[in-house]
Amino acid sequence: MWWYVGKRLLQAIPVILGATFLIYMMVFLRPGDPIVALFGDKPVPEGTYQALREQYHFDQPKIVQWLLFLKGAVTLDFGTSFSGQPVIDLVQRAFPVTIKLALMALVIEAVLGVAAGFYAGMRRGKLFDSTMLVVSLLVIAVPIFVFGFVLQLIVGIKLGALPALVSSQATFRELLLPAIVLGLVSFAYVLRLTRTSVIENLTADHVRTARAKGLPDGQVNRRHVLRNSLIPVVTFLGADLGGLMAGAVVTEGIFNVPGVGNLAFDAIRRGETPTIVSVVTIMVLVYVLTSLAVDLLYAWLDPRIRYA
Amino acid sequence: MPDGRPSKTRPGQERYVARLEDTPLHDVGALDTTAPPESQWKEAWKQLRKNPLFLISAALILFLAVVIAFPGLFTSNDPTFCRTGKSLRPAEPGYPLGFDRQGCDVYSRMIYGARASVTVGLLTTLIATALGLVVGAVAGFYGRWIDSLLSRVADIFYAIPLLLASIVLLSALNSWFPDRGFWASVLAIVLALALFGWPQVARIARGAVIETKQQEFVDAARALGATPRRNLLRHVVPNSLAPVIVTATVSLGIFIVAEATLSFLGLGLPTSIVSWGNDISAAQNQVRAGQRLGTMFWPAGALALTVFSFILLGDAVRDALDPKAKKR
Repeated sequence: MWWYVGKRLLQAIPVILGATFLIYMMVFLRPGDPIVALFGDKPVPEGTYQALREQYHFDQPKIVQWLLFLKGAVTLDFGTSFSGQPVIDLVQRAFPVTIKLALMALVIEAVLGVAAGFYAGMRRGKLFDSTMLVVSLLVIAVPIFVFGFVLQLIVGIKLGALPALVSSQATFRELLLPAIVLGLVSFAYVLRLTRTSVIENLTADHVRTARAKGLPDGQVNRRHVLRNSLIPVVTFLGADLGGLMAGAVVTEGIFNVPGVGNLAFDAIRRGETPTIVSVVTIMVLVYVLTSLAVDLLYAWLDPRIRYA
Repeated sequence: MPDGRPSKTRPGQERYVARLEDTPLHDVGALDTTAPPESQWKEAWKQLRKNPLFLISAALILFLAVVIAFPGLFTSNDPTFCRTGKSLRPAEPGYPLGFDRQGCDVYSRMIYGARASVTVGLLTTLIATALGLVVGAVAGFYGRWIDSLLSRVADIFYAIPLLLASIVLLSALNSWFPDRGFWASVLAIVLALALFGWPQVARIARGAVIETKQQEFVDAARALGATPRRNLLRHVVPNSLAPVIVTATVSLGIFIVAEATLSFLGLGLPTSIVSWGNDISAAQNQVRAGQRLGTMFWPAGALALTVFSFILLGDAVRDALDPKAKKR
């Protein structure tokens, strides 16, 4: 198993290198000089211009800039933003907020999605099942920001049940509404996945055996149907953490959450290479590590799987 | 028992031999071997024709196609003709859904908005599916170092979240072409979404190809002297298409939603182009203020119905192409 973990981590290296390189190249596609843009209409003093160019390595060839970023990133030095703050500080402030938001969304979608999907699968073709199928399709079909605005209006402003905007503290209560919105689409996927999987497992041989040997229904459903149905769901949830962090760009914008989504979006608009690349690198790392964790979880959920 | 030992069979547990008529063997004899073989696609089409979900979604998509091809059939108003005097006014004769903030007709904008959104979805799906199918099929079929190389490349594009990657790319592309027309803006979005959307298809195509190439008919074709290339194109790919088509249908809807999201972030189609995404994001101020929710409801509803139809179609096609999944 450790050999497997090592192999996977080695495979992740070209992925991380390639992804950062790709992002660098896309940022460089932007026309114009970001330093000139930084000064707006004002003329840029020649000395300052040269100093800034050197500070951000804009005088180096593009590939060297990328290599310099990598060299710094290894020692957790992600460079400085255009406003002069070290990117690592910005990320350190924003990242916990987004992680909190994404984990809250993940818990919401997992608990509600699995519960509703399990219930729907057990009562296939009944009213609850059909309703949930239609609801899940609608949730996938409507753009997430529409739900964001509508829930913000109804729950946050009209009913006043939850805060409609998030302050710089980003407390649990404030993040609840954005987390629900963020987790909504994935909730629909989790529901559909669990349902299909439950239906599949209900007629599986091992479930029939369990029933035949006289186990009570509750135990069969819990230990044999539900547990086995969770395998594809866990894969999805693992891959989804990265997706949720990217989806945070939209949700954080609507609810004014001080997280990486907002940080990344502002940086993209300013063409602030160090911040963009750092945030994307972290997201890629999250994706790579969670998908490894999910693959290892497999062995625990399904003892038939062994790693070579 | 011939040797006189006591029988282990208790009464009621005698060996039961079914009559031939009651066994599957009987059906084998009854098969009409002279009938032409039915292809997977014909079989699927037969299934589809009977599926109400397919009929509903196909009808909706056909209707959508008519709306896109002949918007003039549904409204005689010009979607770009706006009068500030009519800003946020309710419905009146000839304008059944009222006016948006700019004083444009919500109904005619809903009709004309279909074109941009669906074009983005269709083109992105076509390009992402074609690219993903080629890469996935080559990787899965040839295996070894080609597979490792292509899989790692796909991993790189897959590891960057689709939304974030397309934001970065579009913010660069859009600054190159500030005043772009319909096709230039559509193609920019298509490029950004397809560039990071293909690995999803490639993964599924690769898996399907690996499964297909292990089947006996592929061995048979090879034994009969088919070159690897012919085997791949004539036997393996056609028999691996089913999951790819299902993914493509569903992702068409997802790409339409992505276009709307990009427009909402100000990186999609320029506001001069009538599109659902632009209208939805333009309506956000009204929704925040809680007035004239229809300005968001109608374009969002039209978009949702479109995506809904494509996802339903994908579900129906999957059921038809994979009968096993349906019975379960």
